[in-house]
Amino acid sequence: MSHAITLHEITKSYDGFTAVDRFSLEVARGTVFGLLGPNGAGKTTLIKILTTLMRPSLGDAFVEGHSVLTAGKEVRRLIGVVPQENNLDRYLTARENLTLHARLHGMRPASYNPRIDELLEMTGLASRGNDFPDTFSGGMQRRLVVARALVHEPRVLFLDEPTTGLDPQSRRALWDYIRGLRRKMTVFLTTHYMDEADALCDRIMIMDHGACLADGTAAHLKDAYSRAHTYQVEFKRDAERYEGVLAGLSFVKAVEREGAVFQITLADEESIKPLMDHLGGADIRRICLKEPSLEDVFIALTGEKVRE
Amino acid sequence: MFKGAFSIWGRDMLVLRRSIVSELVSVVAYPLTLYLAFGFGLKGYITAVNGVPYPLFIAPGLISMTAVNAAFDESSWSMWFHRRVQRTIEEYRVTPVTVYDIVIGKIFSGFSQGAVKGSVVFLVILALTPFRIDYTHLPSYLGCIALSSMTFSCLGTICGTVIDKPENIGRVQSVIIVPLIFMAGIFFPLSSYPSSILPLIELLPTTAVFEGARDALLTGAVPTHYLVNLVLSAAVSFAVAVYVFNRKMAE
Ligand SMILES: Nc1ncnc2c1ncn2[C@@H]1O[C@H](COP(=O)(O)OP(=O)(O)OP(=O)(O)O)[C@@H](O)[C@H]1O
Ligand SMILES: [Mg+2]
Repeated sequence: MSHAITLHEITKSYDGFTAVDRFSLEVARGTVFGLLGPNGAGKTTLIKILTTLMRPSLGDAFVEGHSVLTAGKEVRRLIGVVPQENNLDRYLTARENLTLHARLHGMRPASYNPRIDELLEMTGLASRGNDFPDTFSGGMQRRLVVARALVHEPRVLFLDEPTTGLDPQSRRALWDYIRGLRRKMTVFLTTHYMDEADALCDRIMIMDHGACLADGTAAHLKDAYSRAHTYQVEFKRDAERYEGVLAGLSFVKAVEREGAVFQITLADEESIKPLMDHLGGADIRRICLKEPSLEDVFIALTGEKVRE
Repeated sequence: MFKGAFSIWGRDMLVLRRSIVSELVSVVAYPLTLYLAFGFGLKGYITAVNGVPYPLFIAPGLISMTAVNAAFDESSWSMWFHRRVQRTIEEYRVTPVTVYDIVIGKIFSGFSQGAVKGSVVFLVILALTPFRIDYTHLPSYLGCIALSSMTFSCLGTICGTVIDKPENIGRVQSVIIVPLIFMAGIFFPLSSYPSSILPLIELLPTTAVFEGARDALLTGAVPTHYLVNLVLSAAVSFAVAVYVFNRKMAE
């Protein structure tokens, strides 16, 4: 079996409301998989099912070949979990939080102590090991939760919005660390940061209303789903006149104007030539193809409306 | 087997050790006040109950009350806090320990709190007052308290598991636990009850807790029907606590 994670037609309903709808997925071992989706899309629900915190209403899921329904204990032996909300023990010091986790995994002091030193070092908390998490900033608490999930060297790591609340330095440090884990570990993460998904994930899935909308590498998604033929044109003069000209062209789908700079979305790639014919070269200061971003893909797929 | 339960219990004991002094001051104050107020305040009015001097009559009950209250308090609030506030139960549940480890670890933490606090109140009453016992009776008394603390720890665990709002835990304490304790005759002999309701009172688990403990301390023996009641209550509440927690976690 070469898949680290398999979901087979997973459905989860909360009395009547379907949060996840016949969701199937296979994640290859040693890759970083990113799940994106608006608030309430069902990301956390999927992670809770995969980490045995919640039972699916229908379907089954497997982690390294072990069913979450019938072999929960084997699944939990192999996974590390960073939940969306920090759940540190505020009555234990940072180090004691990690120690308790190691004990619950049946580790012995000789193996967990050096490992905990290493992780506190990695997360920049080495000098705060004997302090209580209450005295930490939000970002430091988040890093401690990440360290805790790594104590027992899991084979599959689940990260639910791991970098929410982190400063750019800590975010990048965590990205570097996650990149370093690739191939040794399978990483399943959710995020609302498109740059994070772009920078980190071998494969990205965008979901909404409990179902998958798009799936592939960042480059693939940008190619397939964004408005790839949007051009940015800046005029030296006569911007008003050109606005009128653009409005009259049938192959121009949309025009957004900011001063002398226009965002022009064309019906297809071939329309660039007639566009140049109509505009002429003389008054154009600059023209460039707008690079599609993952955010464009996300908005195109999930809509602009804020979720209630 | 149950290594996870042991680790979770170990965590609770570590936290208890850190705050032991302030915990003990507050836990000793209440029964000691009752002892002084009732034992001495009423001594002139109530000389003896069935031949037992009044302070001696109430002391075993106050010690048992401290133990079972502490067990209930710890189990209910700790379970609620770890489940709803800190969500540490979720952290435990993504490690290889089972729900049985978690609930058993928590029940034993409540039990241990009861045992520690009950013992301290016992020692304080012993040190500050003329209350004296026959030490050969101590083992059966401690056995009684252990069984009672177990029962109350399980009841607390059930409350902390099924109740989501903290004010409702407070309500259960004042509407069920406190009346059960006071009805059971810590401060008066059961013979004060009209004979029509006495059989009902005798069936209460708390009656077994307090009457059984008093008999154990004063005579060295626990009447059989109380002993059966204590063992059954502990066994049933343990089974229910484990079942309820298991069910709740499967939601
Ligand atoms: N315990 C629950 N009871 C009822 N409905 C729930 C429960 N938990 C989640 N839901 C619903 O399930 C849906 C999916 O929730 P989920 O937490 O999985 O979303 P998410 O993708 O993680 O969102 P976010 O980005 O905000 O974290 C939401 O509509 C939510 O209201
Ligand atoms: Mg979520």
